[in-house]
Amino acid sequence: MASADKILKALSDSLGKRIIQTRTLQPGKSYIQVQTGAHKDAVRIVLQEDNEAGVSAITGVDLGETIELMYHIRTCDTIITIGAEVPKKDAKIESITDIFPGANFHEREVSDLFGVTFEGHPNPKRLILPEDWPENVFPLRKEVSVANIPSKIGNFGVSKDEKHVSSEERLVNIVLGPQHPALIEPEKFSLRVDGEIVREVEPRIGYVHRGIEKAAESRTYLQDIYLVERICGICNACHAACFCQTVEAIMGVSVPPRARYLRTIILELNRIHSHMLLLGHAGLEIGYETLFHYMWRDRELIMDIMEALTGNRVIASFITIGGVRRDLKEEDVPKIKAELTKLKERLSFYKNLFESDSTLKIRTRNVGVLSKQDALKLGVVGPVARGSGVNMDVRRDEPYAAYNEIPFNVITYDEGDSWARLMVRLDEVGESVNIIQYALDHLPTGPYRVRVPRTVPTGEAIGRVEAPRGELFYYVKSNGTAYPERVKVRTPTFANILSFVHIAEGGNVADVPASFVSLDPCFSCTDR
Amino acid sequence: MSLDLNFVFRVLVFPGFAFILLFTMFCDWVERKIEARMQNRMGPIYTGPVGVLQPLADFIKLLTKEDIVPFNAKNFVFRFAPIVSFSIFVFSFAFLPIDGASVVSGSNFEGDLILVLTLVSIANFLLFLSGWSSTNPYSAIGATRVLTQLLGYDIPLFILALAPAFLAGSLNIAAIANKQYVPFAFLIPWTFALFIINLQAELEKDPFDVPHAETEIVAGYETEYTGRRLAFLKLAKDVQMVLGAAIAVELFLGGPYGPIFYGLSAVWYTLWFVLKLLIVVVVTEYLTCIFARLRIDQVLVVNWKLLLPLALLSLAVTVGVGLWLNPL
Repeated sequence: MASADKILKALSDSLGKRIIQTRTLQPGKSYIQVQTGAHKDAVRIVLQEDNEAGVSAITGVDLGETIELMYHIRTCDTIITIGAEVPKKDAKIESITDIFPGANFHEREVSDLFGVTFEGHPNPKRLILPEDWPENVFPLRKEVSVANIPSKIGNFGVSKDEKHVSSEERLVNIVLGPQHPALIEPEKFSLRVDGEIVREVEPRIGYVHRGIEKAAESRTYLQDIYLVERICGICNACHAACFCQTVEAIMGVSVPPRARYLRTIILELNRIHSHMLLLGHAGLEIGYETLFHYMWRDRELIMDIMEALTGNRVIASFITIGGVRRDLKEEDVPKIKAELTKLKERLSFYKNLFESDSTLKIRTRNVGVLSKQDALKLGVVGPVARGSGVNMDVRRDEPYAAYNEIPFNVITYDEGDSWARLMVRLDEVGESVNIIQYALDHLPTGPYRVRVPRTVPTGEAIGRVEAPRGELFYYVKSNGTAYPERVKVRTPTFANILSFVHIAEGGNVADVPASFVSLDPCFSCTDR
Repeated sequence: MSLDLNFVFRVLVFPGFAFILLFTMFCDWVERKIEARMQNRMGPIYTGPVGVLQPLADFIKLLTKEDIVPFNAKNFVFRFAPIVSFSIFVFSFAFLPIDGASVVSGSNFEGDLILVLTLVSIANFLLFLSGWSSTNPYSAIGATRVLTQLLGYDIPLFILALAPAFLAGSLNIAAIANKQYVPFAFLIPWTFALFIINLQAELEKDPFDVPHAETEIVAGYETEYTGRRLAFLKLAKDVQMVLGAAIAVELFLGGPYGPIFYGLSAVWYTLWFVLKLLIVVVVTEYLTCIFARLRIDQVLVVNWKLLLPLALLSLAVTVGVGLWLNPL
């Protein structure tokens, strides 16, 4: 791994005058603005310097006359941002999908919401907005206000290019979603099936696009905490934590130690809850109902702890700017510890089950294999990447909350199949239990929040959190008022969903749910 | 021909139609309750005492639902496959001695074992037709899976059923059941174990429930069915479950025959039959709960590479041991 300084030096050496300016967004995070057209070279240089680097997100910001595009590249232990501006009238920029295929969806999203054309994109179709959305309305541009977004658009139908059976190819089109028992949330995947073998997969997301990024601009920072929590019900605390720590970075607020530990506890509870939900759901997808019922029963232990800690079972509303909203009661600590011990006993049972059960094994071993190279190329994050042997974890790479003081292991498996992805999660639940136990034992005393002003000084910052599904990315730009100028959210599933196409093609129809569920897709996150 | 009241009673009430229907629903309840308890759930509890009337309530509810026939599926097969399939399964019960006697005198004959097994195959084929005629991609895939699986397990099932027939020296189900002073399940446990595994495939239960793997192909061949047609399709599957278990009871567990302590033999025979059948139901449910669903290609591997050779081997061993113990 190359250090960030080395990459920055390589950038300035080879781009030279094409760099317009270099500045620091927040300590350790550099922003390099390059001339339009040089962005691709810049991205290529970073990818060459660090072979484990990947484009984390592409953010668009409306600057009035121009649209600023930011390529956030995840490298070593930080994020390097490469910026380029395109005129709003003629918004065109060269696509980077040929050097980094994982940027496919990121570019399509920006194209949908900002009207930037990415030249050379292999599949420049709509991704987020409905098919019959008016041609020249780009919701995240500033001239489009919430008031003039059409409330009712035309009749949404099946697009014309969809056929059930084409006789000459003998491929049957099986549509997975938007309503399908294997998908809890609505997204559409068109599978072209030859007998029982999947030949092509075409994903289409956007069915639960709620325009949260736009809505965040018309709410205060305080209101936005509750808004971003509702991006995803399962990992809500991660969204709140990520948003709050990004805003805190702009404000320069430091959070008291007790609050950092309490945040760690709720974030880890969130992870256990999410992983167990997924592992149970995986059982359901491969027809193992008993596993599903057992997992979800034991997950109730965590729900009880969440309720004791935050007062809520699911949406925690616990983390706020400057700390947390409630303190942990001393008398709850032994109860929480007892339940964690109980959970740990159950975990050894599940671990044994996942390692020894024969039917579970033949349904998940060597199914949906994603090699390490493909994982890096597609820019996957979280347990999906770790299941393919990519050693990345924001908790260790760029510690937030109290992770720099708590010892824990990053779990990786090299197999890259569905089983490995499930095992990563199962082992991480054990690690999370250890983290919570350590945090409870070493909980500092003192205040659990600091009061902060409602307005935020001008500035911008990037926040990253290791959500249960992987790296969660926030970019917040402030204009000095109580309302943010831009809130960008890149959820882990949005980064992972492209890999589904890769692992499903060539596989068996019966394996689609098993390999799909091992990615732990969350579509509310994906669409926002 | 005058109307014989005994004949009408035996065909329509006991041990005929009404008994089979009620017993099927009872078995459905037992099945659901066991599965629920094994999975740490409650199962049906509200309808009737401990939820025993839940299957009946579900059936009546489906009967009252709107009956929708898709435009492309307006054909004879789609309309009649469920009811014909149901009838064949119920009809097959006429050859099984439930209370120790045949349902109507003379309904038992030498070779009815082959007839029953054939009828079951035909009824299963009708399930395939019901899915195929739905003209829905999910149904079509579910239907082809039924057929693929049918080819795989039907042959081992026939072969396995021959072992008890050989030991009893008869192809008459009642005679096979009657000959078992010691149930064949104890004499030839390997055949019985294979038969139960095969039964799982026949009944589309885990690990062989691929034809209606809901996370892959919605409800498989049932997808387009609604209302009363779905009610009969579901009932047909339930009757099939009881029939499958009943065949296992007759062939391997000594049928209705068991010790009679006092009173009417018919009561005792029915009781033994019901008890033995419930044991088979419990075993199949247990297997359902501890397995994940296999993939269709893996099912075929299990059927052709494992069950078929093992069935042949077990038949050979049974014949060999039988001849050694009791030379011709």
